[in-house]
Amino acid sequence: MAKEVYLWATRQISVQSPLREDWMDDPLYYTEPYVRSIDPDYKQYFPPNTIRRLGKILKRALLTSHRVMEETGVTHPDAIITATGLGCVENTEIFLDALVREGEALLKPTHFMQSTHNTISSLIAIDVHCHGYNTTYAHKGISFECALLDAFLQLKNEQIATALVGAHDEMTPNCFVLLKRTGYLGHSGNGFSGETAVNMLLGGQWRENALCRLREVAFLYRPGKGDLQQSLEHLLQQSHCCLEDIDAVMIGNNGREENDRIYRENCPILFPGKKLLRYKHLFGESYTASGLGVHAAAVCLRQQRIPAHLFINAGNGEQQGVKHILFYNQFENKNHSFILLSACGK
Amino acid sequence: MDELILNLKKEIIEVLNLEDVKPEDIIDDAPLFGEGLGLDSIDALELIVLMEKNYGIKLKDPAQGKEVFRSIRVMADYIQTNRTK
Repeated sequence: MAKEVYLWATRQISVQSPLREDWMDDPLYYTEPYVRSIDPDYKQYFPPNTIRRLGKILKRALLTSHRVMEETGVTHPDAIITATGLGCVENTEIFLDALVREGEALLKPTHFMQSTHNTISSLIAIDVHCHGYNTTYAHKGISFECALLDAFLQLKNEQIATALVGAHDEMTPNCFVLLKRTGYLGHSGNGFSGETAVNMLLGGQWRENALCRLREVAFLYRPGKGDLQQSLEHLLQQSHCCLEDIDAVMIGNNGREENDRIYRENCPILFPGKKLLRYKHLFGESYTASGLGVHAAAVCLRQQRIPAHLFINAGNGEQQGVKHILFYNQFENKNHSFILLSACGK
Repeated sequence: MDELILNLKKEIIEVLNLEDVKPEDIIDDAPLFGEGLGLDSIDALELIVLMEKNYGIKLKDPAQGKEVFRSIRVMADYIQTNRTK
């Protein structure tokens, strides 16, 4: 029988208080359309010489990975799998800007080396001397789901025993302006643009202090009529669950009409009468924001409660005794995904 | 020469992101690599770019680089003799 998969630890650096779960009871709210993450003082965690060359996204990735590895005692994860929509875009901009201004002859090697998408995963591997499986998924709004599915399948099939899965995106002022032009971010009435840095340590064994079980991951590309329903039924069947068991469904509403309309149309059909949760009003929008959504759901399951401010359509107060949260994400109505998380019973 | 040494220290601090280092912390004759500032091979590449960009000096022979980057004073001497800008 295939193994079960557990989420042992998760840490985030975002627009909420870094490395802490203060957002559960004391969330920060933003009215500006463009918000950058709250960075901790990295010098408290690393010698200055270790991090002096690293851009923001790399410092965040390194610190969150260190924290989950320290908390779980896993010094060498069998796999390091990273999701990123835009990669190390801040360094990419610096590198390209220098290329335009000064030509190819006098480019700084550091910015060149740190301008690729897979720098994040490889930096962590070099730092912890991990020579195992190392992969980066850069698939826009479905990057995190791809990374999670990769780890899930390998753990389920016992090819690996532990996996470090990360979701990382930074948003530069230039990127914000460009994405605003495309309509993806920053328009009146929309939620705000945030940044994502979250690392999770997944393992194939139950642990006392694990946050939750990862029951299933499924995603569909351009589903036809009835495909989503069929996929959801299959996922629930595989997990020996039924819709009645699900306490709440977490979705990716962000205030943008083109995005929210899809949820408005699909949720009543897929999850009739279910309580709906949101997370982007706290963490903002980015290509890998769903990583923070899964992080939030996992923290709720660990603490066995859902704070009132996460509910969209029900409840004036906190919900206690939470056992199952279904995560439903879609990107541009092309990529749809379901992730089922359950409280951690032995 | 003293002015060149001071400028060079400032440029190195900026280019290599040595946030907590001040020009007066860098000893003129101390080794830049290994001990001293503890620079590494990527820093050597950054210094090669700095020499060309700021002083018009092209270092093509790696062995020459090893000698030129021995200390701030050696670097400054080399720049003073070979600079084209």
